[in-house]
Amino acid sequence: MLETTLCGVTLKNPVIAASGTFGFGAEYSQLFDVGRLGGICTKGLTLHPREGNPGLRVWETPAGMMNSVGLQNPGIPVFLERELPRMRTLGTAIIANVGGGDLEEYIEGVRLLSNADGVDIVELNISCPNVHEGGMAFGINSEVAAGVVGAVRRVCSKPLMVKLSPNAEDITAMAIACEQAGADAVSLVNTFKALAIDIHARKAVFDNVTAGLSGPCIKPIALRMVWEVARAVHIPVVGIGGIATWQDALEFIMAGATAVQVGTATFVKPTTMLEIIDGLERYCANEHLTSLATVCNILGTVPKL
Amino acid sequence: MTSSSPAYVEGATVLSQERLTEDVYRLTVATTTGGTPGQFYMLRAWEREPLLARPISVHNVEEDIVSFLYQVRGRGTELLARLEQGGKVALSGPLGHGFRTEGLRGRIAIVTGGIGIAPMFCLARTLPPGDVTVIAGFRSHPYAVAQLVDLSVDVRVTTEDGCNGTRGFCTAIFDPHVYDTVVTCGPMPMMARVAHLCAEAGVPCQASLEAHMACGVGACLVCSCPTVLGNKLVCADGPVFDAAEVIWHA
Repeated sequence: MLETTLCGVTLKNPVIAASGTFGFGAEYSQLFDVGRLGGICTKGLTLHPREGNPGLRVWETPAGMMNSVGLQNPGIPVFLERELPRMRTLGTAIIANVGGGDLEEYIEGVRLLSNADGVDIVELNISCPNVHEGGMAFGINSEVAAGVVGAVRRVCSKPLMVKLSPNAEDITAMAIACEQAGADAVSLVNTFKALAIDIHARKAVFDNVTAGLSGPCIKPIALRMVWEVARAVHIPVVGIGGIATWQDALEFIMAGATAVQVGTATFVKPTTMLEIIDGLERYCANEHLTSLATVCNILGTVPKL
Repeated sequence: MTSSSPAYVEGATVLSQERLTEDVYRLTVATTTGGTPGQFYMLRAWEREPLLARPISVHNVEEDIVSFLYQVRGRGTELLARLEQGGKVALSGPLGHGFRTEGLRGRIAIVTGGIGIAPMFCLARTLPPGDVTVIAGFRSHPYAVAQLVDLSVDVRVTTEDGCNGTRGFCTAIFDPHVYDTVVTCGPMPMMARVAHLCAEAGVPCQASLEAHMACGVGACLVCSCPTVLGNKLVCADGPVFDAAEVIWHA
């Protein structure tokens, strides 16, 4: 009932663990059966290992949290050798999230991941707000983004999904540019660039000053962006942003998402994604739906006000 | 107190909630999930706010009970303190790597500051009492000391206001040369001092660190701690580290 095809890859269901919130899958497999998930996006990978950012990395906000991890990861060669074989035993689709400090690092990283057995989809991260070079720098301007997407497209034999930043100048133009540059899907949104100040210390909470905001507080904005993008492109859209319940997930699907990613809500309750899957199944049964495609992108054209 | 694999329990029943001082509580929960000294659980007992669960170290473990000793520091612990007998708490655990008890030999010093005493009861229970000295510092009135005395370990108390035991910091009466191994838990500056004294004396020291966490299982990487071996995760690599590996000034 929930089986979903995402750029040619069959997922058990449309519920995917979002990058950066689920490690390499094994971490949460201690607490629940991650094999029930539609897929897992890896922690953001770069060709070269990264230590991540110094200082405090997490801060709670009303209905959300800010993070400044800064793409800490062991590097793609170590991922391929140590983590990927273990991930392949988890019984779910593997989506390798890849970032880069410059164009060359993106291209070489994508080439390595694309050639690896077991990687089902490559998710190109042009939206990390927490690194100085690369990351979101490539995800603000549509022409810059199209340059990266086009370049990695040439070396990527796997389905290529581009993860978009809500901080883009124009999210719709960005998605169209990625589609035209060869993306097979877009996922959105990554975290919102945000600020917290320690009024007692009279300085920013984070060493980097700004950090990425996620959680329920961003959901309505993320949903609006998914809706706008889904109306503008012909490739699948994966919805991300504050999804915590099956009703949230269904909103994103109705707004045009083929699948959804869940991140922060897993921290709140480790089994959130299983509850979303169960809830969507019950919904389909109650509504006599054979597939969620029936309710995907149902808002239609919008009346001019 | 054997190691067990972690689990997520959505509605564990509160058996008791004891208030030990103005802001220190002991919460006892019915669960068979167990744990070893130095491990922790992620606890959450509210609907919406705050968003994240709170990491709390294991204070004591019995076959079907885990208890937590904690200090009210903010909204999360404030809500934990409101739990009453029969209430429900969501827990994930036991998590992390606790004290390496096989490395604790000879004369053992346990040096704690404030609520850092929390994990030491279940640790002291596993050690031969005659070999253990607890040096516990508090700002004011001590707590969770009597149960250590009941284990027949040597307990020395310091208080900053002098209301009990020796006036001053616990580090002032801690001489590492008298011991073969040391474990410590407390505020970072205090543990940094203990680590420094141990390093000078050439005495091995294990330190249990605290950090803001989101996942608790090593997935989100927000609780990193700089060490001489690179950034480590307090939740998954720790919370107990070899004190000589931790970069304390950071």
